[in-house]
Amino acid sequence: MDSNEPFALIDCTLARCALGRTCTNLRELLDAVRTVPDAALEHHMMRCALDDHFELYEFPNDLARWCWDALGDEELGEQLGLIDPYQYPSLASLRTTLANVIEERLWGLERVSWCQPGLELHLIESSVIAYDTGERFPTPTALVESMPRLPPRALFYHVHEARRRTAGRTDDFSDWLAERGADASLVAKLRAIDFYFLSLNQLRREIIEIFRQASPDPEALAKLTIA
Amino acid sequence: MKLLDRYEEVVGHQEIRRLRQLAAGLAGKTIVHVNSTQTGGGVAEILGWMIPMLEELGINARWEVISGPPEFYRITKAFHNGLQGRPVSLTSRDLDLHIEVNRENAQRLNLEADVVLVHDPQPMYLPQFTPSDRVGRWVWRCHVDASRPVRIVWKHLEGAVTRYAATVFSMAAFTRPLPCPMFVVPPSIDPLSDKNCSLPETERLDTLTRLDIDPERPLLVQVSRFDRFKDPLGVIAAYRLLKPYYPMLQLALAGGTADDDPEGAEVLRDVMEQAGDDPDIKVLMLPPDSHRIINALQRSAIVVLQKSTMEGFGLTVTEALWKGKPVIGGACGGITLQVHDHQTGFLVHSPAGAAYRTRYLLRNADKRQRMGRTGHEFVREHFLLTRQLRDYLTMLLSLDRQASNN
Repeated sequence: MDSNEPFALIDCTLARCALGRTCTNLRELLDAVRTVPDAALEHHMMRCALDDHFELYEFPNDLARWCWDALGDEELGEQLGLIDPYQYPSLASLRTTLANVIEERLWGLERVSWCQPGLELHLIESSVIAYDTGERFPTPTALVESMPRLPPRALFYHVHEARRRTAGRTDDFSDWLAERGADASLVAKLRAIDFYFLSLNQLRREIIEIFRQASPDPEALAKLTIA
Repeated sequence: MKLLDRYEEVVGHQEIRRLRQLAAGLAGKTIVHVNSTQTGGGVAEILGWMIPMLEELGINARWEVISGPPEFYRITKAFHNGLQGRPVSLTSRDLDLHIEVNRENAQRLNLEADVVLVHDPQPMYLPQFTPSDRVGRWVWRCHVDASRPVRIVWKHLEGAVTRYAATVFSMAAFTRPLPCPMFVVPPSIDPLSDKNCSLPETERLDTLTRLDIDPERPLLVQVSRFDRFKDPLGVIAAYRLLKPYYPMLQLALAGGTADDDPEGAEVLRDVMEQAGDDPDIKVLMLPPDSHRIINALQRSAIVVLQKSTMEGFGLTVTEALWKGKPVIGGACGGITLQVHDHQTGFLVHSPAGAAYRTRYLLRNADKRQRMGRTGHEFVREHFLLTRQLRDYLTMLLSLDRQASNN
């Protein structure tokens, strides 16, 4: 990125496609985790953040939530909730870990857990459709001031999807700030946000709080209030 | 005032702006929707707002309607039922007539477009009889739960699907494996319609008075057809479990019966019998256009129930959440996508479960209010018609992208 280029705000939306495949028990979930297309694994482990589930639930991915809620398998729900897909170098390695955790759980069960009718997991694959909003932020101050009103989906694109694009290295905000010579500790704090375990609105608040702590300008601070 | 400007007041400037930005990638394209009726029914209602909105977004949108003899509609009604797994009686002559009517309509209709969206089974065979250079891409929109269709119906329609680039379903649960992408676009409600708009307090109170409901006493409401799958008897059972603890409680069961549902009258009879002479149970048979009455009832409820044992998407749940009401819903169909335990309401599996959760909410006013606020925002984000429009635009862009990648 050119250090003089303004920050280009990209928004995104999800195209969701059903696989026509359903899980009703833990064995079927294991089989699905082993065989579904990558785009389905990405959807249920990462892009489900855009379905706002994490705003309502305590789990950051569909698989953990389904095990807890539908199968009543709280132990497995917690284990799957702890798996952070952004920490894996590839989807193949994520898939292997998920399959191992589920298989290990199945191994120890006397009876396979089933969900009640109506609570099946209907598998979906998705793709991100990103588009340029035309909004440009020429300075870090302008970017910071825009934070309270940025759409949640744009946050997802610039943080979650950016991590995917950069193999987990960085998000777009801190990358752009680093290019412009921003304070290294500010950049480090932004990159250290545990974004997978935050809803998109919590993520926004955390970013704002980091800027708030970093900014010496009281006027700029005053503008950083969430609508 | 333009249509999009009116919705901007509800969904916000940003959402409308994003729709314009998404649509910019489709500017100048021509999209034709085809269905089988200009008025009445959910599809016509959707197209009624979607066509002008697409136009406002710079997309050339048209709406074509197929027509056929009365026999054709009897056959396609059987398709509608058969897709949803109800037993049907169809002959090979019926299937031939369906194809023949599609052939005639393909010659009559103006289908020249980048994308033709075919709604439901009636016009499904149009691609077979339309020259391939007239239509860029065909998309089939199935508005019903087709996950367990009757074999003869599915086999007949499956033969037509091969000509489509994609299909669209309301929920992943409504699909079955097909050889083309199956996009998921959930339905939505119109926040400005009579059923969902804000109501003057006087109108709400007048409505209750006319229905002989006491506005000062707590009211439970279920709005749905008198259909066994909506479990109205289970709702009455739940109410009776609550009544000893809340003697002032009232229950309104509001709905109608579908013309094509002979069982409806029987269910209504059972409901009346169960209600007996309890003056606090109101069984309301309402005409199909009673939108403002339903609006008033939902707004007057302390808790809304939708205790279905089988359900489509469950837009009555969406309507109640939009009005800031916690919903106690049966754990089935689209209710599970909308009712989240302790957040927007409770999922239940029995009349006792419905009674238990209702009792909890009756005791906890602050919880009710918090759930109501969460539910309202949840619907604003996910189930208003602007989101449905966004999903359609996304699907069209996704198809363009797939084509350019191939």
